[in-house]
Amino acid sequence: MKRLKAMARAYREYWRINVLTTLEYRENFLMWFAFTIVYHGTALGALWVVLTAFPSMNGWTFRDMAFLYGLWMLAHAVNNTFFSEIGNIPDHVHEGEFDRLLVRPLDTLFQLIATPGQTFPDELILAVSYFAAATWYSGVHVGVLFLIFVPLIALGGALIDLGINLIVGTLAFWFVRVDALQWIVAQLEQEFTRYPVSIYSRSVRLLLTFAFPFAFMNYYPAAFFLNKPENALALPPAVGLLTPLIGLAFVSVAYAFWRFGLNRYQGVGH
Amino acid sequence: MSVVFSRPRFRLEPYVEFAKVAMAKEATYRFDVFTNIASVLVRVYILRTVWVALYAHNAAPSELPLHAVITYSTIAMLMSLVMDIDQTRILRDSLHDGSIVLDFTKPMRVPLYFIANGTGEVLFHAVLMIPALALALFFVHIDVPSFGTLAVFLVSFLLGYSVGFCINFILNCTAFWTLEITAVQFIVTWITDLVGGELVPLVLFPAALQNVLVVLPFAAMFSTPLLIYVGHIPPAQYAGALGLQAFWLIALGAVSVVMWRLGARRLVSQGG
Repeated sequence: MKRLKAMARAYREYWRINVLTTLEYRENFLMWFAFTIVYHGTALGALWVVLTAFPSMNGWTFRDMAFLYGLWMLAHAVNNTFFSEIGNIPDHVHEGEFDRLLVRPLDTLFQLIATPGQTFPDELILAVSYFAAATWYSGVHVGVLFLIFVPLIALGGALIDLGINLIVGTLAFWFVRVDALQWIVAQLEQEFTRYPVSIYSRSVRLLLTFAFPFAFMNYYPAAFFLNKPENALALPPAVGLLTPLIGLAFVSVAYAFWRFGLNRYQGVGH
Repeated sequence: MSVVFSRPRFRLEPYVEFAKVAMAKEATYRFDVFTNIASVLVRVYILRTVWVALYAHNAAPSELPLHAVITYSTIAMLMSLVMDIDQTRILRDSLHDGSIVLDFTKPMRVPLYFIANGTGEVLFHAVLMIPALALALFFVHIDVPSFGTLAVFLVSFLLGYSVGFCINFILNCTAFWTLEITAVQFIVTWITDLVGGELVPLVLFPAALQNVLVVLPFAAMFSTPLLIYVGHIPPAQYAGALGLQAFWLIALGAVSVVMWRLGARRLVSQGG
């Protein structure tokens, strides 16, 4: 109990520092905010162009894809807002800063997540706004089920994102330099979540469902809310609501791998 | 720092050496090389799947048949292996840590040093295009144009690459005035990828948008060489297409020179 209180206090402090840092470097913040907008803007722009030239992709129109993208953006923004520091594990390891975290009394992963930087919930605000617009644009019915499950799905999706980043980050204990791998995993996640998973071959669909469950970040839930008949693996539509559970399961596996790596970690010789 | 050096006679060899060193440096990260090629392969698979899915259920647009669009996207991805490199990053880095002052005291032409360094890095990645292409052929069939078209494509690619180089150099030159430009560079890269026709061929854009985009320098980087490759720009239009690329190269080259001069002068007036 005392420990939880200490964690809560540290976490509050973490956000206080983040906000203060952001206010201090306002121009920098605005530039990165523009970066976020352009990033999503160009992705959606490309989708729009393609689906203007071709009316649909496997039965998905631009309106459907806008919603598909929105679900991914929401989950991804939750991850970027709360767990972005996971991506810096390799830096911590090869700078030798990581050793410092090991001798402190709080959980190592918690300390990592709560390393202050210039995190600000701007991307999350953007994602929620976009998602609201995309929901309206795609004509998805907003009922009780939608309002209860969308936040849970966003959270579950964020856990999937966190899990994959944690696994890649943990690899730094052995390989030290994993920058290229991190970049590529991020890029593949982004590509594989952009289009309906049903366009891929069966083996890829299986991989995206069971091994790297990116399909649960947006494809299955979107197919459920949009009432899309065809599902990648002919699973019942309601699997789209399993995202929170899949997220928890996946992040548990990632956490176990992290503990395994941590126990074997010997430092890089600082 | 305002001492005027008598310029030594120009020799090319040192710059060749700079390029070699940069190349060797890039080659040390073998794991990165491996993951890079793997990533190209997965993305080639994705692009093929996406275009096949799009062409399967729709009437094909008359501009580009499926095999042409797959060829286009695969070549575009290989081109991006060298086009997306931040070639003159070393300029920004040496401004950040102040080592640019030392660069100025060395008997060399500083911008040429930066260019040589970037070229070495790029040449290394250009070599990587060969295995990436060879492996990509397992996933996709790529059209190979006639020898003449291929030659024009290579000229156009070189022009496009140089336009991209100037844009990169100009962006890194802004570091003389403002230090944090990473975000701006990403923004420019993404916008280039979209409006330059790397992600989606410009001929698939709505007509009104197309007319504007084709004359921009971004189209000169990707769209022009690629459309020459797939034969969408016929030989009769080569002169015009290459001419427009050359125009952008001269214009942006001039801007680069001006930016460099202004930046270097500012550095001197600040006392280094």
